[in-house]
Amino acid sequence: MAVPKRKMSRANTRARRSQWKATAPKLVKTLENGRVTYSLAHQAKVVTDSAGTPLFLEYKGRKVADV
Amino acid sequence: MPTPTKGPRLGGGPAHERLMLANLAASLFEHKRITTTVTKAKRLRPYAERLVTFAKKGDLASRRRVLGVISSKSIVHELFTEIAPAVANREGGYTRITKIGNRKGDNAPMAVIELVLEPMSAKQSVVAEAEQAKAPAAAAPVAAAPVEESPESAESVDSAESAESAESAASAEEVAAEETTVDAEAGAADEVVVVEGAVEDEKK
Repeated sequence: MAVPKRKMSRANTRARRSQWKATAPKLVKTLENGRVTYSLAHQAKVVTDSAGTPLFLEYKGRKVADV
Repeated sequence: MPTPTKGPRLGGGPAHERLMLANLAASLFEHKRITTTVTKAKRLRPYAERLVTFAKKGDLASRRRVLGVISSKSIVHELFTEIAPAVANREGGYTRITKIGNRKGDNAPMAVIELVLEPMSAKQSVVAEAEQAKAPAAAAPVAAAPVEESPESAESVDSAESAESAESAASAEEVAAEETTVDAEAGAADEVVVVEGAVEDEKK
């Protein structure tokens, strides 16, 4: 089994970890009931009732699946 | 003919992929709507639509070809007797894929693939009817048909049920005028009713 010969320095470790970055998802801006909402494109959205309970997934006015 | 697939096989090998696609297609025809990964849904689409094309042909040879893929006779029977008549007017595009976001466990992008069983939209069916009326009939009915159907299309934009009622009303009016075209339209309206009933049953 291959074994590291040298200790990984703290600088090298931190340099490696600093390259791991999060990317922001691309959102589309739509106007729903007079309010601006942001959502993921080409993906079904969750429909909720007034209390915020998720009901089902909807895409282009069509029920797609249960949550 | 579907485009050949590129890239690696699904699963562990060619045989595994064949089995997976066959099982996915069988599940799709059994349940009409299945949730799977986006990759599998995309690979399933041409495969399943080819089987539906065989089912629309409907003869014994095509039934045996489908049985070579899907071993369950009851599912193949359902495909030939229920799904094929429901998509008889549709020229391809029998399935719909909708992305529903990533799975919780492994963050795999998921999708719902479903059979498009609802009848064609009011506009499409009006166009098809006009073309059907145009083809066999002579000059006189052609002149009459667009005039009669243009108010129908205007009325039947909002929902399929209103389109149905508008069609039935229109056909009732046309009884006095032309018997042959009325028969054809009444037949078409009956088909629409039957197909919609099937779709509603599934939703229940």
